[in-house]
Amino acid sequence: MSFLRLQGIQKRYGPVSVINGVDIAAEAGEFVVFVGPSGCGKSTLLRMIAGLEEVTSGQVFIDGQDVTGTEPAKRQVSMVFQSYALFPHMSVRDNIAFGLKMSKVPKSEIDRQVAEAARILQMENLLDRRPRQLSGGQRQRVAIGRAIVRHPKLFLFDEPLSNLDAELRSQMRVEIARLHRDLGVTMVYVTHDQVEAMTLADRIVVLRGGKVEQIGSPQTLYDRPVNTFVAGFIGSPKMNFVAATLTGRDARTVTVAHSSLATPVRIALRDDAQTKGPSVGDTVTLGLRPEHLVLGDGPNRMILTADIVESLGGSTLIYGQTKARETMILEAPGRRTLTKGETLSVGFDAAQAYLFDATGQAI
Amino acid sequence: MASRSNGRILHGFGLLAVFAVAIFPVYWMVSSSFKTQTDLLASPPVWLFTPTLGNYAEVFADQKVTSAVVNSLIVAVFSTALAVVLGTPAAFALARYDFRGKSDLWFWFISNRFISPIALALPIYILAQGLGLLDTHLVLILVYITFILPIVVWICTDQFRSIPKELEEAARLEGASQFDIFWRIYLPLGLPGIAVSAIFGFIFSWNELLYALVLTRRDVQTAPVVATSFMSGYELPWGKIMATGTVIVLPVTIFALLVSRHMVRGLTMGATK
Ligand SMILES: Nc1ncnc2c1ncn2[C@@H]1O[C@H](COP(=O)(O)OP(=O)(O)OP(=O)(O)O)[C@@H](O)[C@H]1O
Ligand SMILES: [Mg+2]
Repeated sequence: MSFLRLQGIQKRYGPVSVINGVDIAAEAGEFVVFVGPSGCGKSTLLRMIAGLEEVTSGQVFIDGQDVTGTEPAKRQVSMVFQSYALFPHMSVRDNIAFGLKMSKVPKSEIDRQVAEAARILQMENLLDRRPRQLSGGQRQRVAIGRAIVRHPKLFLFDEPLSNLDAELRSQMRVEIARLHRDLGVTMVYVTHDQVEAMTLADRIVVLRGGKVEQIGSPQTLYDRPVNTFVAGFIGSPKMNFVAATLTGRDARTVTVAHSSLATPVRIALRDDAQTKGPSVGDTVTLGLRPEHLVLGDGPNRMILTADIVESLGGSTLIYGQTKARETMILEAPGRRTLTKGETLSVGFDAAQAYLFDATGQAI
Repeated sequence: MASRSNGRILHGFGLLAVFAVAIFPVYWMVSSSFKTQTDLLASPPVWLFTPTLGNYAEVFADQKVTSAVVNSLIVAVFSTALAVVLGTPAAFALARYDFRGKSDLWFWFISNRFISPIALALPIYILAQGLGLLDTHLVLILVYITFILPIVVWICTDQFRSIPKELEEAARLEGASQFDIFWRIYLPLGLPGIAVSAIFGFIFSWNELLYALVLTRRDVQTAPVVATSFMSGYELPWGKIMATGTVIVLPVTIFALLVSRHMVRGLTMGATK
């Protein structure tokens, strides 16, 4: 039995359906990340786990218990909000101690717990300040401190780092990973930053329009995305998609042609696509990750027209166009200078190519 | 640059003009309260005079004035306090819960103020007479609450609505009851609104004349009633009237100054983002 289980969850606001039947299970101690574009229902789902939002239908189980109708405080979950939601009129100490006071923990025990949380988060010297006297990162730490003192069964984070600048964000990301390792508690984390998802998650849940698109480890999602949406969402820069034509197929492989491909490419089919899938003459989508494209060589080659170049310091993003005027991005190591209109020969390994049918499903 | 400093000068003059208009009657009242009857009636008015405390001695010797101030204090403090005690939970409910008839209730609070007070004076008089409440503190307190309560509810509802909802949600997750949320979060963070409505309420009760005249006789006369009672007779005792006015204005000024400390300051700053 999974530690956290969402079963057939639906949520409607009046006539508007926001979550359309979601099933998710997470094991104890797992770090689960919900990702998806804005408005796909990540926060709503998280708030339903917390009990802040009622489910329209379906069930929520935490640690083997059906908590669907249980009030938030009784679920033993802690939540860190995107906006921190610190109590502005209370000191850091009182903010952290709030939940313990509410559950009538003795004063000496509260002091001990608060000191412990402050030590873990390295903010012993901030305890007597008010939230408005803290920086963004410090506020975030207080919010996390408030969450950990209650020793919840489940931590919920709703885009906790999105208000921080890039440097602080990566620093806090490491801190959260460390916290997860040290506490060993199950965490559910919402973000639309795929880097956070990839680095933190044991398991990623990709959502779109209130439905689960795919659940899996970061590696699985990267290597075997089930459709173009997941393929485009995981990885940065985004995967390149071009429309290609199926020119031949046998039991395990297909050959695809594209006006910019020097020669047709032979690509292995996924196991589940070997019996069905498209037939010769169909249009398919060929997916190539920017980091898998190599300038100048490789077993399979594509001819592109150079467009612009973005230098990232250590590496370079090169934008090119296919003959069919599709934009392709490739990531090349080191620094490159190119003139617009120059012809590029780009190589790739067929084993790193992705193939999707006309409906966007991986084949 | 030049236009900006011109703007400042204009701004300054504007402020000065408003200030002068607002403050002059008060200055006149306070300074007159220290004048003798001769100085008071001098024409043209005298600006420099030897101040006297005679008027004040007379005012405080008069049992009527001191007991009127005490009556007014009792009525204003209780009506304001009760309106705040009753109004803030109502505002909390209106700001945070959805329930049937919420907008009707809201409109009802506003509509209370549509009615001209004098239209209700007679019915309330008859009601009070029937209940044997005429000439008591209680009747004034009850009537004033009906005026102050809507003010408290409007202002505090608005104030409570501006408190980020996440604070309440965070508190709920931490195990806070509805009462805890109201008491530990909404009340302290809503203090500016509560202070404003309390000042309004206090000033209203303190200055109210119509109902105080209608509903009281001798025992529970409030300060405005007593002040107007001097306005009769052959020679008006101007010095005493001015001293009484000053004595009447003082408590409400002190109250407003004390409470207004809570009105400023962005209390919710630092809660979110
Ligand atoms: N109270 C509500 N009434 C109606 N619709 C709502 C309500 N709350 C949320 N929604 C809708 O539900 C959908 C999902 O919202 P949600 O906040 O869960 O998205 P999200 O994935 O967290 O997005 P973001 O990344 O922008 O935070 C949105 O389309 C939103 O408009
Ligand atoms: Mg959200």
